[in-house]
Amino acid sequence: MTSLGTPIQGVTLYSFTRAVHARQYDLDGLIRKVAAEGFGPGLEVIGFSSLRGFPDRIDDNFVGQFRDLVAEVDLVPTSLAVNVDTGIRRDRLMNHDELVEYMRKQIEVAARLGFPIARVQISLTPDAMESLLPVAEKYGVTLALEVHADQHGAHERVLALRDRYEKLNSPLLGFTADWGATVTGFAPSLLEAYRRRGASEALLGQVVDLWNGFYVDGPPNTQKVHGERFGAFIGLAARNGRPDLGIDFAINGTGLFGPAPLDTWLEIMPWVRHVHGKFFGIDETGEEPSVPVRSLVRQLVENGYSGAISSEYEGWHWNNWQDPFDIIRGEQAVQRSAAANAGSAMITDASEARRILNSHLAQPVRG
Amino acid sequence: MIADRIIEQGTLITQDGRTAVEVRIPWYRALPGSCIAGAALTVDGVSAPEGSLRWTMNNRTFSFEELVDETGEWWFPLDSAVLSGDLPVPDSRTEHEVRVDLKLYIPYIITDHGVLHIEEHDTKTMKVAQR
Repeated sequence: MTSLGTPIQGVTLYSFTRAVHARQYDLDGLIRKVAAEGFGPGLEVIGFSSLRGFPDRIDDNFVGQFRDLVAEVDLVPTSLAVNVDTGIRRDRLMNHDELVEYMRKQIEVAARLGFPIARVQISLTPDAMESLLPVAEKYGVTLALEVHADQHGAHERVLALRDRYEKLNSPLLGFTADWGATVTGFAPSLLEAYRRRGASEALLGQVVDLWNGFYVDGPPNTQKVHGERFGAFIGLAARNGRPDLGIDFAINGTGLFGPAPLDTWLEIMPWVRHVHGKFFGIDETGEEPSVPVRSLVRQLVENGYSGAISSEYEGWHWNNWQDPFDIIRGEQAVQRSAAANAGSAMITDASEARRILNSHLAQPVRG
Repeated sequence: MIADRIIEQGTLITQDGRTAVEVRIPWYRALPGSCIAGAALTVDGVSAPEGSLRWTMNNRTFSFEELVDETGEWWFPLDSAVLSGDLPVPDSRTEHEVRVDLKLYIPYIITDHGVLHIEEHDTKTMKVAQR
C-alpha cells in the first residue's frame, strides 16, 4: 500500500503578475513579501517573467544575489518555469537542434539559480524530451513537462510522452500536473468580469451551458475536438452580438478550464514531479468554486505525492478588484485543510521541505 | 491579459510632426522583437501611416519590418517601449484620445493555424507635451 504523501506548500510568482506589472513589487520585494506572508516554503519563478535578460544575460552577480536572498528569507526553490518558444521566428518553427540549444540555456540558468526542476511545455515531443535527457543529466535538473488544459493526463500526446519516459526510465523526466486540466466549472470571477464588460446574463448563461456540455462530454482527446470547441465559443459570442468577446471565451473556456475527470491524473501519477495548484478565485465561503482543490489534494496525498504544489492563481487576468495575496492565503488554507482531512499534512517548514524534496526528486541540482 | 495598461498615462509627446507614446506589454512574460508583429497609433481618430511607425525598446529603434528578424532584443514586462509615428498633434491645451493597437505572437502556443497571435488595444485620454 502506498504511504500517504506530504506535499510541500509553495507559490509561483506568476500569481502576482498584475501587482508586479503595476510595478508595486520588484523581484526582491516580492520574494520577501511571499516569505513574510508564509506562502512558501516552495518558490517557483518564470524565467521570462521575473528575470531580466533571461536566459542569455544572467550574470554570476545576479545569481549570487538571488541565492543569498532565497537563503536569507528561508524559501526553497522548487521549479523554474522555462518556455518552449518553438514559434519565435516568423518564417518557420525552430528545428530540433535549435530547440535543444534554446532549452539547454534555460535549464542551465535553473541549475545556477538552485532550482531542481525546470518546468517545460507540451510542444516538446517524446523525441525532443529524449534529446534533452543528457542536458538534464549534465545539470542535475528534473524536466517536468506541464500537463495543462487543453491537454490532460489521458491525452494522446501526454500518454506518448509517458510511454517514452517509461522506456527511458530516467528519474529526471516527468510531468508538472496543472490543476487547470481538471476543472469542474466556468470560473464565477470570470463571469463577473464579463458582466462588468457589459455581457448580458442571457449570454453568460449560454457560455456556462456550453462549457457544462463539454464537461459532460469529457475532455478533448485530440487537437481536432479542441479546435471545434474553440470555434463553438467564438460562434456563440458572434450569434449574441458580442464578437469582441469570442476569442476571450474560447481561450479561457478551452485553455484555462479543462473538463477532464480527476482520475485522468492517475495515468501519469508516478511521473508527476511537480504540481501547479492552478485556481481562479476563492468565494465567500472560503472555497474554490470551480477547481476541486480538496479532491486534488486528497488524490495527491493518497497516491504518495511528496513534491511541491505551487499555488498558481490565474484569476489575475480578469480580476482587478480583489487582492491576489488574500486570494492565495485563502487557497493555501484550503490545501492545508484538505491534506489534514486526508490524514496527512502540507509541509510548511523550510528545512523539512528541503529534505522531502531531495528524496522526491532524483538527485540534487548541480548549479 | 492586461490590455488596460498598454498605454502609459501622460506619456504622449509630439515634435515636428512626429508623435510618440509609451506602451507596456499586456502579457506576463518577455517577448522578443520578432513576436511584436504590428501596432497602430491613433490620436483623435487619425492614425499614423503604417510605414512611419517605429518601435523603441532597450534604447534601440526599429521599424516593424526590422522587428521581424529580431530575436536578440526582448521586451521585458516591467519596461515601457515607445511607439512613434508621423502624426501632427498641435494643441497642447486639450485632452486627446490616444489609441494603441498591438499584435503579438505567443511563441510557445502552436495551433493548427500556426503560432497563436493576440490582438489587443487600449484607449486613454491625455494631454500632449510639445517638444
